[in-house]
Amino acid sequence: MGLKVLQGVETLCVARCDPAKTGQHWSVFLAPQAIVPAAAALSAAQYSLEDILALDTTDGLLVVYHFNAWRFDERIALKVLLPREDPAIPSITSVFQGAQWHERETRDFHGIVFEGHPNLIPLLMPAEDVDVHPLLKADKARRAIRDIMDAGEIVSCTGEIAALFAPPADTSADAARTDGGSKA
Amino acid sequence: MMNAIDVHMLIRLIIAVVAAMAWVGINALVLVYCERKFAGHIQRRPGPFEVGPHGILQPLADGLKLMGKQLFRPAGADAFLFWLAPMLSLLPVLLLFLPIPYGPMLTAMNVSLGILLILAFSSLNVLALLLAGWSSNNKWGILGAARAVSQSVAYEIPLLLSVLAVTFMTGSFNLSAISTSQGAWPWQWNLMAQPLAFFIYLVSAFGETNRAPFDLAEAESELTAGFHTEYSSMGFGLFFMAEYAYMVVVCSVCTVLFLGGFRGPVADGWWWFLAKTYALLFLMIWVRWTYPRVRFDQLLNINWKWLLPLAVFNLLATAFVMKL
Amino acid sequence: MKRQYAGTDPLAGDFYTRQFEKDRGEHTLVVNMGPQHPSTHGVLRIVIEIDGEYILRADPVLGYLHRMQEKMGEVQTWGQYIPNMGRVDYGHPLAWNWAYVGAVEKLMGIQVPERAEYIRVITCELNRLTSHLLWWGAYILDLGAFTPIMYSFDDREMLLDILQRPTASRLTYGYFRVGGVRKDLDDRCIEMIKAFIPRFRSRLPMYKDLVTDNIILRKRVEDIGIIDRDMCRRYGCSGPVLRGAGEPYDLRRCEPYSIYDRFDFEIPTEETACSAGRYLVRMAEMEQSLRIIEQAVEGLAHAEGGHIMPKAPKPSMKPPKGEAYFAVEGARGKVGVYAVSEGKKVPYRIKLRSPSYSNLHAFAEAAQGTLLADAVATLGSLDLIIPEIDR
Repeated sequence: MGLKVLQGVETLCVARCDPAKTGQHWSVFLAPQAIVPAAAALSAAQYSLEDILALDTTDGLLVVYHFNAWRFDERIALKVLLPREDPAIPSITSVFQGAQWHERETRDFHGIVFEGHPNLIPLLMPAEDVDVHPLLKADKARRAIRDIMDAGEIVSCTGEIAALFAPPADTSADAARTDGGSKA
Repeated sequence: MMNAIDVHMLIRLIIAVVAAMAWVGINALVLVYCERKFAGHIQRRPGPFEVGPHGILQPLADGLKLMGKQLFRPAGADAFLFWLAPMLSLLPVLLLFLPIPYGPMLTAMNVSLGILLILAFSSLNVLALLLAGWSSNNKWGILGAARAVSQSVAYEIPLLLSVLAVTFMTGSFNLSAISTSQGAWPWQWNLMAQPLAFFIYLVSAFGETNRAPFDLAEAESELTAGFHTEYSSMGFGLFFMAEYAYMVVVCSVCTVLFLGGFRGPVADGWWWFLAKTYALLFLMIWVRWTYPRVRFDQLLNINWKWLLPLAVFNLLATAFVMKL
Repeated sequence: MKRQYAGTDPLAGDFYTRQFEKDRGEHTLVVNMGPQHPSTHGVLRIVIEIDGEYILRADPVLGYLHRMQEKMGEVQTWGQYIPNMGRVDYGHPLAWNWAYVGAVEKLMGIQVPERAEYIRVITCELNRLTSHLLWWGAYILDLGAFTPIMYSFDDREMLLDILQRPTASRLTYGYFRVGGVRKDLDDRCIEMIKAFIPRFRSRLPMYKDLVTDNIILRKRVEDIGIIDRDMCRRYGCSGPVLRGAGEPYDLRRCEPYSIYDRFDFEIPTEETACSAGRYLVRMAEMEQSLRIIEQAVEGLAHAEGGHIMPKAPKPSMKPPKGEAYFAVEGARGKVGVYAVSEGKKVPYRIKLRSPSYSNLHAFAEAAQGTLLADAVATLGSLDLIIPEIDR
């Protein structure tokens, strides 16, 4: 059984999560251009936006959108992986006006550009620190996605995303990654 | 011969104005203490308690502190108007005390058109508020001034009409004559004959003096402090004293018009006058510490849609009854 | 990018004013409400464009109390971060305590002892009462009545005395621990709670007579600041704002956590979606909180386990890698914490989802076309806590 709400939206990876362990029911990876249709589909199904955040990983910047329904207990995390060099993603403010501040905040903290945002100016950070992004991690502290989250119970997945969660090859050059990952 | 009378009158006037100044000052001190103490007890706390026994010297300490503050004028403010406004607010108020009969023989100037004098000079206050708000180069000040003007203009009309209803009955504008025309006992007061006029007067008085729930010109949760946002030290102090002085005037006039003035059971005298005036003042304080503030359009609606028609109706009814 | 934001004329207002004035109409006044304004409750700033006293546009400017709590999460250990949760929202800090601790417990797969759950419910509900009382007094103060805040603080004082015993603080609680709470409720504390409940019950009708039924108050809040269900969904509003719009969404019921499924209580809603609706919802919620506390105190007497699990994790705990989202119902709405662990002593990422943030966002739309005084009434009815918005 897949995720019915997002039928018709092009997904990269749909995985069921254990709410008792993660507090989320679905984890969905999307391509950047699929985020607006996905948000529209969720909006049509009466989901509300909880928050938008970004994670700084070695695989790129991972933008996470949390959606939640009022009438039944379901939380969906939409995840979009962006390249670090040019982190740009379409804005969903046309669907959820409440995303405006969340997107401005994410721009402040991680420098992600939300294309089509009506007013992408600093929100929490001072205006003169427009190029300072405090939550970008130092190179040493950055981890791969597989080291900070589980894939969950995968329903459908493209190879590209599956590779993110595959155990690292032994020949992997960055040994720094392993000391944080699987010890605990 | 004429000269002698003039000099006599002049000396009398000067003494009266000085006495009025002292009276305003003392009243402000007493009222501030009363208001804070009364508010304290309404709010289940003791009120000022530190300066002097039961905090009785608190108003003096407040006054000293106020005088010790820096007089400050914001950049871009119109200096002349900015300093003129607080003075214009307080000075006319001194004249208002002159025609009020405190006792049978205790009137500074027994003017035959006393009530008109009071109504005329009290209107100057709104000019002071307008100047203060306008000249301080502050957006909140302008909003406060605009509110003050439309409010004062609106509430003056029912106030005047309710006063007129009383003068229709007594046939005189002289406040002493109005006092003596009433009996000693409460059922002989104008209050009994003119309950509607009394009510209209009281509500309009709240509006005229900018007291809560009609304190929109300085509504601090909306306009920070309205017209006196930029005033400090005695600039603010004068507005403050003027507000209390206006309260006293409004309540004194109300006492004269509706509550028999200095007339009272057992013996007439200033003690009755003071007791009644202070009872009204306490009512104003009580209302202030109990009710929320009305919104501005509601304030004007109350006036134009209710008070004014009622006042006109009351006046016509009085005229009709008097003619009969 | 920098050039675009750099100011040219220092006298022409700051960056946000200039940004706002771009779309300014003729014959209007742009006013900065805040950051120092009596009714913004702290350092919130709202730039408004007014025509007379009618608001044409409003735009909140945030960040005056921004402390980068999320960055602090990435440099402190999991245990060290708990006191920060008391400082995010001084109104209802225990909800934040709970949201954070709950997220960590999810990561570590910890089951909390029954007694600890009861203590959490009791203290959290008491804290909800203090928060609602604070809001009530401050809101009526916004509307121009000075006295009610003294009455509400009278009751709030008793609650703070109760909460002070186990938590050892009166405002910014850091009371919850991973696996339980810091200290057990002692007998004296239980006695105080039991004495408080009937007293507060007897006070609520007085609040109703004194304030809620007052005609001036009613006229000030009814049909003012409409935030309906659809707006709530688009902006992500939650808590009393959403329940005031008629949606019975309360995480204590809809996403049951802890032991809230054991208690019998109602979720008050109002269909009006205006300030009065939100007001009435909060007043009704206080009664429901009392009911929960009553039942929880009863249940606490025969609850199993201690106030904290045996061998509770130390502050230097290392939760296994993973992500966890935990949301609780705070006094203002959905308080959510999203924690990501890389299996180290220090969190990889903490995201705080604060309810006031989303609720305030809807204000700009709700305030359009209303009077300045209505904007104050709307703003107050949202029950904003600025440190929570800015984090």
